[in-house]
Amino acid sequence: MSTITKTETPPVSRPPAREFPAPRYRRILGADRSSIIFYAVIVILAVLVLAPVVPTLYQSIRDKPLYDAGGIFTLDNYVRLFTEANFGQVALNTLIFALLTTVLAIVIAVPMAIVVVRTTIPGRRIFGAAMQWPFFISSLILGFGWITMYGPAGFVSVEVRRILGFLPWDLYTLAGMAITEAVALAPIAYVFCANALRNSDASLEGAAQTVGAGPFRILFSVIIPMMRPPVVYSSLLVFSLSLETLSIPLLYGQPVGINVFATFLYNNGLQSIDPDYGILGAASTIILVCTIALVAVQAKLLKDAKRFVSVRGKATRPRLLDLGWLKWVSVVLISFYVIFGALIPILGLVARSFTKIFTPLQNPLLSLTTNNYATILQYPVYIQSIKNSLIVASVGAVLVSVLATVAVVIARRSPFRYRKVIEYLALAPNALPGLIIGIGLFWAFSFIPLGGGALIQGTLWAIIIGFGIRALPSAYGSISPAAMQIGDELDQAARVAGADWLRVFLRMLAKLLTPAFGAAIVLTFVVMMKEYSPAIFLGSADTNVIGTTMLELWVQGNTGSVAALATFQIAITAIFVGIAGLLMRGKKDA
Amino acid sequence: MPDVVVKNLRKDFGGTTVLHEVTFTIKDGEFFTLLGPSGCGKSTTLGLIAGLDKPTSGSIAVDDVVFVSDRNNKFIPPEERNLGMVFQSYALWPHMTLAQNLAMPLNIRKVPKAEQQTLIRDALDKVGLAHLIKRYPHQLSGGQQQRVALARALVYKPKVLLLDEPLSNLDAKLREQARVWLKRLQADLGITTVYVTHDQEEALAMSDRIAVMSGGHMLQVATPHEIYERPATAEVAAFIGRSNFLDGTVVSASNGTATVRLEERGEVINVSVSGDAQAGEAVTVAFRPENLHLSATATNVPNGAIVLPVDVLTTSYVGSRYEYDLKYGDRVLIAESSAGTVSGAAKLVIPADAVRLYPRADVVSQDAAELMAVTH
Repeated sequence: MSTITKTETPPVSRPPAREFPAPRYRRILGADRSSIIFYAVIVILAVLVLAPVVPTLYQSIRDKPLYDAGGIFTLDNYVRLFTEANFGQVALNTLIFALLTTVLAIVIAVPMAIVVVRTTIPGRRIFGAAMQWPFFISSLILGFGWITMYGPAGFVSVEVRRILGFLPWDLYTLAGMAITEAVALAPIAYVFCANALRNSDASLEGAAQTVGAGPFRILFSVIIPMMRPPVVYSSLLVFSLSLETLSIPLLYGQPVGINVFATFLYNNGLQSIDPDYGILGAASTIILVCTIALVAVQAKLLKDAKRFVSVRGKATRPRLLDLGWLKWVSVVLISFYVIFGALIPILGLVARSFTKIFTPLQNPLLSLTTNNYATILQYPVYIQSIKNSLIVASVGAVLVSVLATVAVVIARRSPFRYRKVIEYLALAPNALPGLIIGIGLFWAFSFIPLGGGALIQGTLWAIIIGFGIRALPSAYGSISPAAMQIGDELDQAARVAGADWLRVFLRMLAKLLTPAFGAAIVLTFVVMMKEYSPAIFLGSADTNVIGTTMLELWVQGNTGSVAALATFQIAITAIFVGIAGLLMRGKKDA
Repeated sequence: MPDVVVKNLRKDFGGTTVLHEVTFTIKDGEFFTLLGPSGCGKSTTLGLIAGLDKPTSGSIAVDDVVFVSDRNNKFIPPEERNLGMVFQSYALWPHMTLAQNLAMPLNIRKVPKAEQQTLIRDALDKVGLAHLIKRYPHQLSGGQQQRVALARALVYKPKVLLLDEPLSNLDAKLREQARVWLKRLQADLGITTVYVTHDQEEALAMSDRIAVMSGGHMLQVATPHEIYERPATAEVAAFIGRSNFLDGTVVSASNGTATVRLEERGEVINVSVSGDAQAGEAVTVAFRPENLHLSATATNVPNGAIVLPVDVLTTSYVGSRYEYDLKYGDRVLIAESSAGTVSGAAKLVIPADAVRLYPRADVVSQDAAELMAVTH
């Protein structure tokens, strides 16, 4: 320690002893400025979460629309829901659809996760990356793609019918919906199971090997039994997502009259000329009870699952198992899922956007056209919807990420008494289906006194608020782990050195969280770019986004232009993610 | 100058009490150490002094300033207490250079820029790191980071310095040197210091006074010498240094001497006691291994010494001395000796002044008891 001996030199001449008293921070009515921020954030979050929920519950027990004076309390809405509106059949459809979807998604995802993460199949990286595709493509676009290829008049269907003389499948059934939805949701279950596999202790498998277990024995005696918690959790996740989904049931069920929860709300709230708000409120309330219960169970499971995380000293790289000839079977099956589930429908949709008619009966190259794009670009309403989507996604991404960052830091790194409540509020929108957010906010805006609601109703701000509520949990979830990685002694040191909580946040945590904040912006942008369901009720003719415009064009039968808009949306997302990736990488190098 | 006065400090965490009504006073300029195993409440106490946590009840005052008190519900947040603190992880802000790290507390106190520069240079000089002023924390070694953390805690001349196991992340050799250096620096500055550690050697070497803590209680507050030579309880004797413990029962007591029957083999011994002992009381007899004599035959036994018949189980050379594991009844006793030649049946001589008597206490952990039981 040569440097230590240096201090033995005579003490440096110091300026005359001077005291540096600790700073005093101003308090307003006994509350310091940090507390004021805590309460402000909790109020903002509570308003955002409760605004769509409370009017919905209230409407469900009123006999008249909320904006009509003189309504009385009644349970009649619930009675009529099951007698007149045939909600029982809808609930049954939803249950069958959600169960089928869950089973199929798990059957696709779990073996794939095990094979890709833990065995020596060729192309592991490519398959792993391919499972990211739903990040770029919304389930609405996937539905368009599937109908374009596999629908009654789809490209593949026509060819199959020509060869076999009949079509062995029918997309417009509950089973057809469930298969498509499962293809769309399988990657979510996959990511969850793959992460669990990566984090599990590889030495457990090593221990199995040392006692003489072969690859299959290890697979069935060690790996699969340990997969139970992630499988249970991701099943619940897929189940609750398919309970509230709108896109595919809307596209497939509408022509043949099969209704599930979301399409029931869509039809009763939008399609009928004089919507029955009582029934709409009652149905929304029942759906909310289901989704909230499911999300609560998920949260409980996730908390319990953390207790099973095995503590390891070193990160050991697991040895990959060799499945022999079975690995080629696996490769074929996974390729089948990726190619037929996602790649062909999306490429088909892109091809559709460049052709007049898209059918195997005529060489598509002969009917190449740019008319579909011209249609979009000729009409200002269509261009406006692209602009609107861009505005909503970019403004929303910044606002939501800022709110999420502040919420994370308060929930994780503050002495605030109600910090747990902040976390619950930020994650609560997971339990709020997009359509119900739309309906609820629509009612909430009509509640704002002095015509304040009219200022928001039908503007892009209404859309930003609706989409923002939906995107908040993703943003929160992406920042939270980063905040937990910053040791709390860093802020404690700053506190003792004289910084109050606000200064710690601005000077320390905000700077250290910048990369996570950037990532949250990218994620939120993409989520809000794909979102459309709250806009169905909140939008006006001037505030259509790409999603709602696509639906309109689809109903009009203008499938070529739908394909063109979908291609736009995919391209915008890909370009944005690409640029953001480059920017962030550049920052890291600097 | 500041005395730290802590009264009836108590902290509950969700139903369990981690700190029981602790009271102590730290004198101006004193190096005061909170010593104990993990979970004993020492870090909780330090956090309460710093203001990082609120006590359930009790009060803390420095000088005449009340930091926290349950009487009038007063609580001064950490940023307004003007303390310096060094954390176990050093907690240097990774996005700032050393100069910026040290400048932060000065900026908050609105110290003019020019004065800041002298203060920062002085503080870094004190820890011998002035030449690294433009570096970032991750470019320094662990020992250097620890000294920067100290400089940052001292640069604004706080009233009290709080140190939370600052040496525990250094390797063993460096830790011993840093110990001496830190003690000298503290003495030079004369700053009142509260030091938290689980390392008894560190505590003994550096402190003016030590508070030994266990299970949220303060067992003894005294100088290092007093703590080692006259442990107040059997737990302190077990935690500071090493001790042999034997269970016994008081047969009779008079004039500061107790006659005790050892339970293991029924020997009767005489032990001098400071307080009073009652006949029939269950007691624990403690003696340190370094105060014992081991020989094949007990010759030249000093007056009043106790002689126990033992068998040598193992002899280990631990550098500069030998350590014996001795079988006494079904128990294993440890003795240190400069000679490593004793084997087989032997006599263990315990001088009268080496023995201390405590109320019966279970100080040996289950694990240790199982390892020490003679099963063969």
